[in-house]
Amino acid sequence: MNHAAAARVTRIEQPATELRYEGLVTRGIAFAIDAAVINLVAIVVAGGVALALSVLSVSEDSLDTVLIAAGSALFVAWSVGYFVTFWSTTGQTPGSRLMWITVCDADDGSTLRPRRAGLRFAGMVIAAIPLLAGFLPILFDERRRGLHDMLARTVVVEAPKLIR
Amino acid sequence: MTESFYIEGRRLLDATMRLGGTVGLAALRPASGAISAGLRLEHAARGAAGRRLGDAALAALDAALVSPVAEEAVDRAMASGLARYVVDRLLADGIVEHVVDRVLDGPELERVVGTVLESPAIDRVVGQTIESRLADQAVARLLASEELWLLVEEIAESPAVTDAITQQGFGFADEVAGGVRARSRNADAWLERTARRALRRPPR
Repeated sequence: MNHAAAARVTRIEQPATELRYEGLVTRGIAFAIDAAVINLVAIVVAGGVALALSVLSVSEDSLDTVLIAAGSALFVAWSVGYFVTFWSTTGQTPGSRLMWITVCDADDGSTLRPRRAGLRFAGMVIAAIPLLAGFLPILFDERRRGLHDMLARTVVVEAPKLIR
Repeated sequence: MTESFYIEGRRLLDATMRLGGTVGLAALRPASGAISAGLRLEHAARGAAGRRLGDAALAALDAALVSPVAEEAVDRAMASGLARYVVDRLLADGIVEHVVDRVLDGPELERVVGTVLESPAIDRVVGQTIESRLADQAVARLLASEELWLLVEEIAESPAVTDAITQQGFGFADEVAGGVRARSRNADAWLERTARRALRRPPR
């Protein structure tokens, strides 16, 4: 969303205040909350599956490998699905909602489409690979965009008066 | 000429009548004075007699009340069913309701209740009641009764209570989240200032 578009959104839905881009710490906390939710659900599901398998007395090594691979794939799918679904529906994951931030299109402020949301997730993974260096641009960019934001053309803004 | 004679005659007749009226009134004045004096005397005599009779009646009532005859009279009246009859009439005529309404509407009841509540006797009575075994027994019985716990359970599960608790929980969570948000935004600003200073970039 360029400044003109941002100002337009501000005039329409938040007339008295300036659109505010969110920084690294706030976004990091929101991500940590989301990660906690994802892992909690994954642990509960994994525990349930392990319990069921122990009841069925399935304990062959080859099967264990298959189960671990399937579990990993499911975990990745669950993580991707979590972020893509929330970003492309409300623009807010539970962590973002708690921190009153939202992800939106950088050009017109609209909610992301699933493909853009998937691209943003991929960009987030890429940004994390070089020791999280891909997130450092958030500190210097005028609109506080990380590498994944630039790739997907998104911004993270304060949510209360736009979404809530 | 006839007309002037008639007018003169008429004037003479009027003067004669006025003179007659004046003379008549003067003649009747002693009589009317006597009647007025008589009326005043009668009024004074009646007032004096009424006061005397009232005093005598009150003295007689006082004498009757202090005499043993009064108790006997009351006993006999009670035995005769007169009291019951009087009560029945008071109830039937709505006089009791009127009295109750008057007491409830009037300031007297509030005054009496205020006086009672402010009296030290009430403090003593309440203190003795609380310290007595009666209170302990009442509490013990209350706690032992299943109805109490059913009531508590009913109240605890009521939508109003659960809504209130939920709202309070949300309010607390929102308050905590608000504190975290404020601190995280301060940390954002500090981190950016530090990073920009380290790279010799101008502040935002």
